[in-house]
Amino acid sequence: MIYGIKRVFKYMLGRDIAGGTLAVRPDDTFIVSYPRSGNTWTRFLVANLLHPEEPASFANIERLVPDAEAQSSRYMRRIPSPRAIKSHSYFDPRYPRVIYIVRDPRDVVLSYYDFSRKYRQIGDDYPLARYVSDCIQGRLISAGWGTWGENVASWVFARGARPGFLLLRYEDMKARTEEELQRLAFFLGIQLTADRSAEVIALSSAERLRELEKTQGKDWVSTKDKRSDIPFVRTATAGGWRNKLAPEAVAEIEAAWGNIMAQLGYELVTRKAEAEPVFATTAPELGESGG
Amino acid sequence: MIQKLILGARRALGLHHPGRNLDVWPDDTFIISYPKSGNTWTRFLIANLAYPDTPANFANINRLTPDPEALSKRELGRMPRPRIIKSHQYFDPRYKRVIYVVRDPRDVALSQFHFQRKRKLFADDYPIEQFVARFVAGQTSPYGSWGENVASWLATRQNRPGFLLLRYEDMLEDAARELAKVAAFLAIPADPERIRNAVNRSAADEMRKMEKTQARLWSSTKDTRQDVPFVREAKAGGWRSGLSDAAVAQLEASWGHLMTYLGYELRFPDKSTNFDSRFVETLLSEPAR
Repeated sequence: MIYGIKRVFKYMLGRDIAGGTLAVRPDDTFIVSYPRSGNTWTRFLVANLLHPEEPASFANIERLVPDAEAQSSRYMRRIPSPRAIKSHSYFDPRYPRVIYIVRDPRDVVLSYYDFSRKYRQIGDDYPLARYVSDCIQGRLISAGWGTWGENVASWVFARGARPGFLLLRYEDMKARTEEELQRLAFFLGIQLTADRSAEVIALSSAERLRELEKTQGKDWVSTKDKRSDIPFVRTATAGGWRNKLAPEAVAEIEAAWGNIMAQLGYELVTRKAEAEPVFATTAPELGESGG
Repeated sequence: MIQKLILGARRALGLHHPGRNLDVWPDDTFIISYPKSGNTWTRFLIANLAYPDTPANFANINRLTPDPEALSKRELGRMPRPRIIKSHQYFDPRYKRVIYVVRDPRDVALSQFHFQRKRKLFADDYPIEQFVARFVAGQTSPYGSWGENVASWLATRQNRPGFLLLRYEDMLEDAARELAKVAAFLAIPADPERIRNAVNRSAADEMRKMEKTQARLWSSTKDTRQDVPFVREAKAGGWRSGLSDAAVAQLEASWGHLMTYLGYELRFPDKSTNFDSRFVETLLSEPAR
């Protein structure tokens, strides 16, 4: 019996999607998150931090901060070191340095719902309540990333407070972008002036990304051939679930992932958490320095 | 390029060992542990429990409980279902039914030191402190560090359906009791005699006897030093005499919280210096035992 001839040829020519077979280098830094958790925003921030000579856009982001799960092995090999790489993978011990972004799962499922419609995985009439159950049960087409709880818990537990792991909350990044950018820069070993910080934030703003998506969206690997009437860059806000998610859906999410949500500082509204939050709501300490 | 061609041809014919890229069936059960944590013993126990008509030995264990690192993709695809698969993998969301065996990392480090000596990865005089430093950093195994491997599974699956946590030390204390848990998990009728037979057939002495005659037939022991046994002491607490204080301190400083959660008493219980995740203490609110 012959197994996937096409895949084998792709593999031999290095045209297979890198993903799990990516050859990791010791000086790689990975930007990891569950999908729809602010990964693209963080990618732009990192790209603009690392490449002041070239403002990030959807036309160059795959070169500046390539997507290991969209690009081929050969493409990834040609990116010069040190690489900053985007990924949605659950825990992978080979990733030496990891920036992990976490977002309130109640907002993540809402955003993922629109994304799945954009990708034509579901129709516009697909019930949101059913979609939430799909997410929790891991029945999504993109279940390759694990569920939200599996993805987040596998990283946070395995790497936790260790050197080489920077945990960012999307909500903190929204509320105090400058401070979080400072932590990001510190982790990457970059000295950041106030001017430069403002510039990086402006070049990575949701408004700018929306404008860029309008002209470049049809060519970017993550948005081309997808529905153009639903934007990739959505509201870019925190707490949308409070108006848009039914109480039953909120309860279902909190029943599945309440403990880790509480750990991460996301207040539960339908049950009591069994554990105290680890995150203070005040500004966290600076992360581990680069190198 | 030639090598890629050969590898490509092997893949096309399904002759490669899939390892982490194993095709998973929904009815697969996995026996998972970090290496040197009692995985082989657990395999024998479960094989002897599930297939009482075929006593497990080193020549047939890869067929009874297939190993994706040792068998080809083609062989694995042809295994009768449901399969009971052996694995050392860190978290994989595709594995829906998991029996996870955990062992005191101080004993794991010591055991892996001897196993890597057996595999000729270093000479007998290699300093164990140096080994422990690499062990803690996750550099002695492709399956992550001990803490990463254990935490990745506990964080995602502990206290959820389809996950059974076994401690090697509990198995040593009362193998029949622990195997009864496995029988319930696998929905195998657990009459005491069947369990007793499985335990007796899988005793360390029996396995040592089999290793003497079958070591060259088994993927994990062939081409290794035959003067260092694979089935070693099969005891708990060897670290107390086999590891220096410095090595113990290093292990506990890395994983003190996780070890405490699992019921492994620390020699240096001041965890204020520990740098493993505080999440372990708080997220898993109930201790494992």
